[in-house]
Amino acid sequence: MDTPEGKLDILDNISLEVEYQEAVVIKGASGSGKTTLLGLMAGLDQASSGDIKLLGHDLMHKSEEQRAAIRAGQVGFVFQSFHLVQGATALQNVMLPLELSGIENAGQLAQTSLQQVGLASRADTLVEHLSGGEQQRVAIARAYATEPSVLFADEPTGNLDASTGRQIADLMFELRDQSGTTLVLVTHEAELLERGDRQILIESGKLVTS
Amino acid sequence: MKVKRATIHAYWLMFIASVITVGIVTSSQLISDRISLLLDRQASELLAADLVIESSNDFSHEYREQALREGLQVSHSISLRSAIFVDDTPRLIELKAIDANYPLRGKLETALEITGTRQVTTEVPSAGEVWIDSKLAGLVGSQIQLGEKFLSAQRLLTYEPDRGGAIFNLAPRVLMNVEDLSDTGLIVAGSRAEYRLMFAGATDDLVRFKIWLSTNAKPGEEIQDLENARPEMRRALERTRQFFALAIVLTLVIAMAALAITARYTANQEAPKVAMLRAFGISQANLLKYYLRQLGTLWIMATLAGIVLGWGSQFPLQWALDGWFGKALPQVYSLRPYLTAALVGLLALAGFSLPYLVNVTATPPMQVLRTVVNQRSWWRGLLISGSAIVAVFAVLMLLMQSSILAVVTLALVLACALVLPLLLGWMVRALLYSSSRRFWLRQYLLSRLRATSRGAIYVMSGFSLVLISILLIAVVKDELIGEWEAQLPDNIPNYFLINIRTEDVGGIEAFLRQRGIEASTPYALVRARMAKINDVDVDKINFTDPRASHSVTHTFNVTYADEVPDQNLIVAGEWLSNSNDPAQVSVEQGLAERLQLEIGDTLTMMVGSQRFESRVSSIRSVAWENFKPNFFLITNTELIESFPQTWLLSALVTDSNRADLKQLLQRYPSVTLLDISEMMARVRGIVEKASVALQFFFVFALVSAVIVLLAAIQTGRHEREVESSLLRALSANTGQLYRVHILEYTLMGALIGFFSAAFASIAGWAISEFFFDIEFQLSARVWIYSLASGTVILSLAGTMVSRRVYNVSPMKVLRS
Repeated sequence: MDTPEGKLDILDNISLEVEYQEAVVIKGASGSGKTTLLGLMAGLDQASSGDIKLLGHDLMHKSEEQRAAIRAGQVGFVFQSFHLVQGATALQNVMLPLELSGIENAGQLAQTSLQQVGLASRADTLVEHLSGGEQQRVAIARAYATEPSVLFADEPTGNLDASTGRQIADLMFELRDQSGTTLVLVTHEAELLERGDRQILIESGKLVTS
Repeated sequence: MKVKRATIHAYWLMFIASVITVGIVTSSQLISDRISLLLDRQASELLAADLVIESSNDFSHEYREQALREGLQVSHSISLRSAIFVDDTPRLIELKAIDANYPLRGKLETALEITGTRQVTTEVPSAGEVWIDSKLAGLVGSQIQLGEKFLSAQRLLTYEPDRGGAIFNLAPRVLMNVEDLSDTGLIVAGSRAEYRLMFAGATDDLVRFKIWLSTNAKPGEEIQDLENARPEMRRALERTRQFFALAIVLTLVIAMAALAITARYTANQEAPKVAMLRAFGISQANLLKYYLRQLGTLWIMATLAGIVLGWGSQFPLQWALDGWFGKALPQVYSLRPYLTAALVGLLALAGFSLPYLVNVTATPPMQVLRTVVNQRSWWRGLLISGSAIVAVFAVLMLLMQSSILAVVTLALVLACALVLPLLLGWMVRALLYSSSRRFWLRQYLLSRLRATSRGAIYVMSGFSLVLISILLIAVVKDELIGEWEAQLPDNIPNYFLINIRTEDVGGIEAFLRQRGIEASTPYALVRARMAKINDVDVDKINFTDPRASHSVTHTFNVTYADEVPDQNLIVAGEWLSNSNDPAQVSVEQGLAERLQLEIGDTLTMMVGSQRFESRVSSIRSVAWENFKPNFFLITNTELIESFPQTWLLSALVTDSNRADLKQLLQRYPSVTLLDISEMMARVRGIVEKASVALQFFFVFALVSAVIVLLAAIQTGRHEREVESSLLRALSANTGQLYRVHILEYTLMGALIGFFSAAFASIAGWAISEFFFDIEFQLSARVWIYSLASGTVILSLAGTMVSRRVYNVSPMKVLRS
């Protein structure tokens, strides 16, 4: 990364390959570079050097516009802070990525997705009126609605209490098992770590275990 | 010093909004004081002084001595009627003897011959000489006998500042030096003379002296200042001041809207910090103390910066206005504008930000761990709105002269502040329900506006309030002043022909008609004094209005008419001809208010030793500033037509007709010709200057509006960036991002424009109807400007913001 103080290496000499339908959990201390790695893998950010491929597409030297086109309909996200569109209903939030990708029957697919996360009855509720756990369920429904090939999740239970966090973790892995979606998950939670097919530890921008 | 720097850093938006608020008040107070002082001075020129005391007897020396002790300038004059011989024919004149200080305000103008150039002079006639009215032009250069003394007629007197005082009673003026008066022998015991003692000086000295004079004046001595001297001037000044007050308040409303928006934003920004501090066990009370100290520091710094800004910003205006006013704006040496500004700053800051900060100190400590939706509570809502209302009202009361105007303005601001979010919210919901099932793009846009966390409705309401205020200033400036100016049409008469004998009326009308000179209907003038109201002697009535006693001792020029005169409007009762009662009177609205007259009251008037009674059958509003013959009292023809009377008519005399006037005066020597174009130009000048001054406030309002816009953009920037980043992560392309931002701002602008035009039209109507007594016309321009400016400004601002926002990396959503 270029900074006013000069070049800053956040991730250094990392080589990581995630298999199709694999669930990889990334752990590491705060500031170790976990989120940066997730962002680079998902094509949200651009690495200064190296090679990154997502679903067979080379992400290097691609503009944000081109990377967005690669992500469209194939990549889902779940964030720690949910990041739902306030002022919109649960259903509308799930419809958003479908419509952005130009999918026609967005409403129907979104409704099905909400049903899968157990929120069909709250489809028309404004998201700000939902509890934290419910909001994260909406976010998961949104992520799975496009039937993505890969789902990236950044501390998905970080903003929830232990019990709700457990439910959300169950739901994510349950859906992943059903859909066969590849999962890349950043977390601190011991319970989530154990549920991955593989754990990756990052320390000071370096891959320690894989 | 570290603490102060930290304060600015944390609250920089609030700081800027506070600086602007204090700056606007400082600047507007300074400027409006200076303009008022200049207007007063210009109007004072029509009194030839700031304060005048008048009597039929000479004054005690005490008055002059007290005035000099107070640091005032003093001048005195004695006016009396006398006669001079012109071609062996005695001719009635108005003789006025003046001292070297005359006039204290304004200047005399003279010419050497009737067609000669008028010259402004600071001189007065020297001992042994007189200056004479242009009607006596033939006597220039000759000796005139005044009583026992011969004086040399040196110049023609073409303008005399205080001449208009009793315009219907004027015989030709002869101006002489007071030193010669005793030698003429004209003043003897029992002479009917009018003594005037004139004073001028600094406002504070004048106020003190006026209080002293009011308590020491003897019966029969009448004090005149601008407030009671001239109805047309008073109207002009009152309106100008009201316009100023309104413009200042509207400008301030904009600044306060910026403060409200920024206070809300700052409080939201503080929430994580509060949650952290509370998690560490800091009590709410201690947090409140901490924020009070922060606010106190911010207020002190903003006040200092605002005062410097306000003080500095008066200079560009002074530079701009000097040319228009023809002279420099006088300086105001008073701490009042600065203290007022500091107090307004404190009230606005406390009223708008304190409740938010009280609210934010209740942020749950759990917030440090996860997002906790703060429970809405009715008392917090009440605290926020109640405190803002109290602050706005206190500021309005502090700045506005009229408490009614303050209450109505508050009501309008409240109506806007409360109703606008409701209406906008309702409109957004209605649009949402009427929208398609598809979410992207229309419903998404509307959801963004509806989201309470983004506060878009409040930002829109704030911006609407700003636009409403700007539109209102524009309405006031264009519609109301335009309407007011329209009452002064270009072809209004510039001469009054007075002292016309009944037998000459027909001849003079024919004379004017033959020469193509436009003239008004002739009006009879019967000089009458008011003796009784409802059979009670007027000197035994205790009037609440101090101007009433002046009115009842005044000699009225009562006229009679069958039709309602032009630009007179019956506001109560019915016009004379609508009833068979032969003894009715129509009373001017202001006089009726001063004397507390109502329909059905009986007035007993004395004409010399004769008397007549009449019943008040209507009350009229009169456009005094139209310079047409206007009357306080109009009766039925049959009631007073038999009394001694003279006639008056007004005429529009063009340059090519001026020579005809000489002929007219030769043919009808009793007629006095009064040139009112000078006075008219002065009143028109006040209106024009008021308009220029309002333009200045308009600029101020625009500058404040830009700050509101910046504050609004700043307020939502973080949310927008995160949302854009989210959309990016959800694979939205640049075009989609661009469209959503531009369309959101365009939609906001259109909604703001629509509601602003509607509110501005209603408020404009209310203000013109209830305060300026002007017929309001719904302006299509207001709607066009409002919709266009709302949409264009917001879209442009949106474009600027979007350029940053759509370049935001989608990584932001991971890191936020």
